Amino acid sequence: MFKYILQEAGDINWMATTALVLFFSIFVIGSGWVLTRKKDYVDKVSRLPLDDE
Amino acid sequence: MTQVEQFHYDNKIVKKFAYATMLWGIVGMLVGLIIALQLVFPSLNFDLPFLTFSRLRPLHTNAVIFAFVGNGIFMGVYYSLQRLMKARMFSDLLSNLHFWGWQLIIVSAAATLPFGFTTSGEYAELVWPIDIAITLVWVIFGINMFGTILKRREEHLYVAVWFYIATWVTVAVLHIVRNLELPTSGLHSYGVFSGVQEALVQWWYAHNAVAFFLTTPYLGLMYYFMPKAANRPVYSYRLSIVHFWALIFIYIWAGPHHLLYTSLPDWAQSLGMVFSLMLIAPSWGGMINGLLTLRGAWDRVRQDPILKFMVVAVTAYGMSTFEGPMMSIKSFNAVTHYTDWTIAHVHVGALGWNGMLTFGILYWLLPRIFNTKLYSTNLANVHFWLATLGIIFYAVPLYWGGVTQFLMWREFTPDGFLVYPNFLETVTQIVPMYALRVLGGVIYLTGVILGVYNLLKTTGSAKCVDNEFAEAPAFPQHHVETGVKKHWHSWIERRPMQMLVGSLVLILIGGMVELFPMWWIDDNVPKIASVKPYTPLELQGRDIYVREGCVGCHSQMIRPFRFETERYGDYSKSGEFIYDRPFLWGSKRTGPDLAREGTGKLKKSDSWHYNHMIDPTSISPGSIMPAYPWLAEDDLDISTTAAKINALRKLGTPYDAGYEQIANEDLAVQAQRIAKTLKAEGVDQAGVEKKEIVAMIAYLQRLGVDITLQAQAEK
Repeated sequence: MFKYILQEAGDINWMATTALVLFFSIFVIGSGWVLTRKKDYVDKVSRLPLDDE
Repeated sequence: MTQVEQFHYDNKIVKKFAYATMLWGIVGMLVGLIIALQLVFPSLNFDLPFLTFSRLRPLHTNAVIFAFVGNGIFMGVYYSLQRLMKARMFSDLLSNLHFWGWQLIIVSAAATLPFGFTTSGEYAELVWPIDIAITLVWVIFGINMFGTILKRREEHLYVAVWFYIATWVTVAVLHIVRNLELPTSGLHSYGVFSGVQEALVQWWYAHNAVAFFLTTPYLGLMYYFMPKAANRPVYSYRLSIVHFWALIFIYIWAGPHHLLYTSLPDWAQSLGMVFSLMLIAPSWGGMINGLLTLRGAWDRVRQDPILKFMVVAVTAYGMSTFEGPMMSIKSFNAVTHYTDWTIAHVHVGALGWNGMLTFGILYWLLPRIFNTKLYSTNLANVHFWLATLGIIFYAVPLYWGGVTQFLMWREFTPDGFLVYPNFLETVTQIVPMYALRVLGGVIYLTGVILGVYNLLKTTGSAKCVDNEFAEAPAFPQHHVETGVKKHWHSWIERRPMQMLVGSLVLILIGGMVELFPMWWIDDNVPKIASVKPYTPLELQGRDIYVREGCVGCHSQMIRPFRFETERYGDYSKSGEFIYDRPFLWGSKRTGPDLAREGTGKLKKSDSWHYNHMIDPTSISPGSIMPAYPWLAEDDLDISTTAAKINALRKLGTPYDAGYEQIANEDLAVQAQRIAKTLKAEGVDQAGVEKKEIVAMIAYLQRLGVDITLQAQAEK
């Protein structure tokens, strides 16, 4: 069943590969970003809900 | 120097949504209580169609999800968005159109579902005109939200707003794709997808309704209201960002975990399982972030009922998001699927996560916009304990009952026979658990009623500050470097439209990889030569089966386990369902599977079905199935046959051209045949061939027949 569907679907390996690459990219970039942020910026944004009144 | 601008927050719209949340919360849970009682006392439908379990169950789920939680979302979003953006909502007119439009949709749902107007897709039951109304109101909400974001005075978009944006865009995509349908009349339609394809679309939709209606908007609310209530910023803003992107990316893939061991292709099942397991990481990241926001403030949790509600809500979120991935593991899913375990699981989420967070927010928010104090903190504490106990009394019996029933289903004698071949035995065994569940529901609902009383007393003695004065510096037109280094995320944070597109791309990737292989291929499921379209009478019978909501308790999907094939017959193949619009695999077996009901050892006589429908206990003493006596009283409406055949042919069912002209003649012949058999078997009802029951019998007798013919031919 698995093979049947995938064979009939044509070459869809690129889909899985793209998804995997994207998934890892998002994690790597995202994690890299959050770890390199300056503390004063993070503090400022995280206080937004408290400073809105 | 930036100019300081003065403006007013619109609290009136928040108040309206808050009242609607409370009203529909009580209504939705009350309907839940009624149907829970009916599982213990089936006669409580009083033989009235619109009071019957199978018709009320979708009303309960829709009311709780879209009416109670839906209004809760809008209440929280309209309050927090204005303050986070330092701007009044974009348009008061749109706010009100949104509010009244949504209430109208809810009332329309209540006016259609109990009367059998349903498409039967879980959480997508509403008929096509209401689907269109939902789309319009959702667009109004979107314009209002993005309009507010665009005219904001605050440069940065706080993480809660990202969750709102992702919610809006994803729900729009889900709703449209799931409800692609071809109307046959003003209130009836057939879906574009059928069988396995529809199943995949359905659970991609329904799983993500949980993800993007019950979860992401509430996470946004958590990230806003929990810091508010605790009066300290979220534990880790960094973590909240990883939480957001990881969660929306992974969630969209996980739908097929609802279809494990079904006829869905293995690759799709594995995809769903793997992504479901990965979901633990972002979900628990969010839960930990929520709970640790209270670091250093745990002493206040002892005194403040609002924080208590929020802590239990986030804990329930953590429990159900641990349980969900576990239930997605195939071997464990074999136990939980079709049993009451699933019902317990969703109620930990709905009562715990959504219910507790909603009331935590209500207790925090209403006194503020009314500029007063909560009427009674003690009463709120009582509500908290009733809610917590209610959840436990609700969930534990159902976990117990679910496992018990599964163990009974799969128990064999040493000689290899089923110990409990009669499905009913496995039901009567757990009816006491259903009774305990009712108790849990009563306790929880009592708490809710006390809570609503408390909140109404709070607001009754004060006046709502409809327009709350505020001031803030104008939006900086030219960004002034503040010494903080710029980076890509602060770029996207200031650009809501780019954020919208980013979220859309991310969820579309998951959706496309999951759905496209199934759509692309014309020949996506192996055809089975003996599987033929339904006859007109069977088709009408099938639509009655859909109307009555039989799928709420009866699956039509036999999994490839010996204990299932022994009980029901050969396991289900994907090719069996190509003409099934809608697909009726079901997700819960309160009654037995019916996929092979018309064949093999499960086949019953026509009169058996007749008597069983009119009074199930006359055939199966102790049965908790409701009686459907009106099927033998109401005439079958055959005026719809031609339109149905036409619509199905357009969608690909191979009815001959012009068949709709003569379909009712075939229908009458088959009905006469069944009436004759009934008479021969002792059912003496004059004119029975014109009644709905005959169509229902025709459909039930067809189930599983085609595939059996194939097996015989192969032999």
